[in-house]
Amino acid sequence: MSARKIDDDRRWQHSSASVTRHSAHRSVTGLWSRLSRFDRAVLFVFILVLVIAAIGPFVAPYPPTFADPLQRLVPPNRAHPFGTDENGIDVLSRLIAAPRTDVLIAVIATTLSVAIGVPLGVVAGYFEGADRRALRWISEGTLRLLDVIQAFPVFILAMVLVAIRGTGPVNVVFAVAFVNFPVFLRLVRSEILALREHLYAEAAVALGNSELGVGFKHLLPNAWPTVLVQVSVTIGFAVLLTAGLSFVGAGVSPPTPELGAMIASGAKFMVIGQWWVAMFPGLLLGLIVFTFAVMGDIVGKLMEPGQRTIPARRLLSKDRIAPAAQAEAAAPSAPDAVLSVRGLAIEASGGPPILDGVSFDLMPGEILGVVGLPGSGKSILVRAIVRLLGHDLQRRAGHVFFRGKDLAELDERTLRAIRGYEILPLLPNAKSQLNPLVRVGDLMVAHIRAHHRCSRREAHARAARMLGAIGIGDAEHWLAAYPHELSGGMAQRVCLAIALVHRPPLIVADEPTAGLDVTVQRQVLDLMIELCHQSGAAQVLATRELGIVAHYCNRVAVLHEGLIVEMGSVRDVLLAPRHAVTRRLIAAADLRAVSSAATTNTSSKIVR
Amino acid sequence: MRTLKYIGRRLLVLVPQLFLISIITFTLVRMLPGDPARLELGPLAPQEGVELLRHQLRLDKPLPQQYIAYLQRLLQGDFGRSWVNSSSVAEDLLVRAPATLELITAGMLIVLVVMVPIALLSASPSRGWLARAMRRISFGYGLLAGALPDFWLGLVLIFVFFSVLGWAPGPEGRLAILDLPPERVTGFYVVDTLLAGNFDTFKSALSHLALPAVTLAFVYGGPIFKMVRASMEAALRSDYTIYAEALGLPRRTVLLWAMRNAAPPAVVVTGVVAGYLLGGAVLIETVFNLNGIGQYAVQSITTVDYAPIQGFVLVAAVFTMMVYLIVDLLQFMIDPRVSARAS
Repeated sequence: MSARKIDDDRRWQHSSASVTRHSAHRSVTGLWSRLSRFDRAVLFVFILVLVIAAIGPFVAPYPPTFADPLQRLVPPNRAHPFGTDENGIDVLSRLIAAPRTDVLIAVIATTLSVAIGVPLGVVAGYFEGADRRALRWISEGTLRLLDVIQAFPVFILAMVLVAIRGTGPVNVVFAVAFVNFPVFLRLVRSEILALREHLYAEAAVALGNSELGVGFKHLLPNAWPTVLVQVSVTIGFAVLLTAGLSFVGAGVSPPTPELGAMIASGAKFMVIGQWWVAMFPGLLLGLIVFTFAVMGDIVGKLMEPGQRTIPARRLLSKDRIAPAAQAEAAAPSAPDAVLSVRGLAIEASGGPPILDGVSFDLMPGEILGVVGLPGSGKSILVRAIVRLLGHDLQRRAGHVFFRGKDLAELDERTLRAIRGYEILPLLPNAKSQLNPLVRVGDLMVAHIRAHHRCSRREAHARAARMLGAIGIGDAEHWLAAYPHELSGGMAQRVCLAIALVHRPPLIVADEPTAGLDVTVQRQVLDLMIELCHQSGAAQVLATRELGIVAHYCNRVAVLHEGLIVEMGSVRDVLLAPRHAVTRRLIAAADLRAVSSAATTNTSSKIVR
Repeated sequence: MRTLKYIGRRLLVLVPQLFLISIITFTLVRMLPGDPARLELGPLAPQEGVELLRHQLRLDKPLPQQYIAYLQRLLQGDFGRSWVNSSSVAEDLLVRAPATLELITAGMLIVLVVMVPIALLSASPSRGWLARAMRRISFGYGLLAGALPDFWLGLVLIFVFFSVLGWAPGPEGRLAILDLPPERVTGFYVVDTLLAGNFDTFKSALSHLALPAVTLAFVYGGPIFKMVRASMEAALRSDYTIYAEALGLPRRTVLLWAMRNAAPPAVVVTGVVAGYLLGGAVLIETVFNLNGIGQYAVQSITTVDYAPIQGFVLVAAVFTMMVYLIVDLLQFMIDPRVSARAS
């Protein structure tokens, strides 16, 4: 049944009318292959549970309500593999018969919750976004009422409802349905609120459909996948609730076989060591609840639109010339280079190489631009230099020498002393680089004191001076601020202050101005380059904007699919590109900005 | 100043909520077929008594007046009488509440002291043996938590640690049968025995509390555990942690700052779980015979004793509301973004 449902939803989503038999078959095998072995095992157990719930009472080896006074509390043996209970009933037979009660109650109750909660959720979601104030108030009121209903602990509410209406399966169903319907109401409401923003919803309204009608006809089908996941989880939870109610005597009572009641009747024997009466029902109960919970995950996984891998556009063979820069790999590093990278290769564990044989030298005070299309490995290169690759990427070959020391061979402590003191990072989207719960001042003070022995107060004064030096007035105010109070430009300035406070010999920047608007971008870059010149810091500047490179850098390296395909002075490379990728990048950039900046690029004068 | 304003506004929300709760508990009993006064006093009460209560509850007046009468009784601390043991419900609840609170507190302590550190350790991507072991534990626990019924788990613990191993006392309540309860100061036996300097009774109280608290922590700590682990994992993978590493900050600082970010979602989940704990305590108290308010409610349900049920439901809902209040205030204190939005 659920497979049909899934199919239906897919058709809704893609609105492709003709689903041929062939593609349907392929999509089923596709679904199966997306499941892990664990998922398949759970699926198997799930089907088994359903089958037992359906036919259990008919296949039990003994009649599940037949009491044999001569066989009371027999431990597990060959005739009764799970023993017998205090009435002499075979535990295994009761176990096979019992899930029917629990699962049936849970399924009916959950269906009822869905039947009540989902339409109300659509209405609430619709009212909440409605123009008429009265409707919005109704929706608001409903939600606050739900808050209060949900303030009553679920189990207690269900217990009391059963107590009031009297025990028995029907009342348990009502109680369980009542405590669960708010879940569906809230879920559908939030889905509808999100969905009604979509264009097709507006289009349907514009075509003259009533808004509520659109909610039910066009939006609700898109919410079904989420609801279905929740249904599975809720059924598992409802089974637990039913069993709990029966356990305290507010649910299904004996002689009807039911897991919670079985545990209750076995409880007193458990204490005196006759464990089998209560042990097995509990295990089975746990298994059922677990299965339904995992089925929720599985359904969710199957509902996700299939992942299609987009084949990477490879270079044409004529473009794949052995790059000139490759020759540097074997060459010894220049004696006074700040940074020299030799044949660096990085790969995702088991995957294709992300960087392949990257080599270059960086002289003191020099600014090397690293350009390339998105995904060419620029950020990885920057991260590799600071040795911050995370656990899914690893260095396959090559070395990064910083002032003659191989960074890969440094121990944790020495590395910590170099990172943040001699090599400073400048990363994109500065706001997300700052911990939202740490004040700017605390970060700066911690950073200063991590590398420089001084009191908290001295560090604070130094941080304030540094902010002043990069042109931030009212330093004390910003030091006390949390990152969410900063604009993007201000956050990047703070990062710049952090980068320069120890006057490091090397700064590695990855798209330092991404996410800033153009004027702020310009200010930040000017400031950064000026300060770098002042302190003599060398810089690796990864960016996808050639304009920036043309304007600020001395040399440029063009990175493509992990290879440096061209490297040289900015003038040479940008005005007379030799490689197809460089030409493509130049063609994509604003030509005037690049060429005029490149011709007037004066940075070579500054360096030497 | 801003904090005071926020607290004030948050407390203001509490008022309508409490009203709604009282309306719901009022309706719950009015939904019953039959005469509320007769239901409260039980089938054995004399007719005169019933008439007196009918008058007191203004049952001959329209519903709004009955509700006001109900509220008046509540405000005077009168929750009615249980007809089974003919005692005041308010007193019964007061006597039993410490047992429940002690259980909940001990359970939450175990969650915070044992499970949260395990969750934090298992979130670290380090390849050391400790982190690996913790990851394995947390994987197994993640599978079990939430699926195993608490009442059954309690029974299994009793079976293993009492019946088989004999390490823990059986389900005989909060103290051994021959122990005398300590003089009541806080109502928590574990605290009161220490205050009285009675170490034997203290040991007894502690050993009687251990299994129920472990059961509670194991079953209800699951969501907290998962949330702490997930948000710590997210914090450790986030840009700001990478940046802090790149700045060469001490490892301790990096971890502590990541943990700060894991705290707000953990507090929210802890609050939600704490709200459910009273419901969980019902079953665990019954299994271990702790005689708290949860077990009191279950007994009242089996004896069809309505006044205690009504009282208990009210207490439970108010308790949950209070927990949510505390969570909101904590949230306000630890997360500057929340306070920025609130003002």
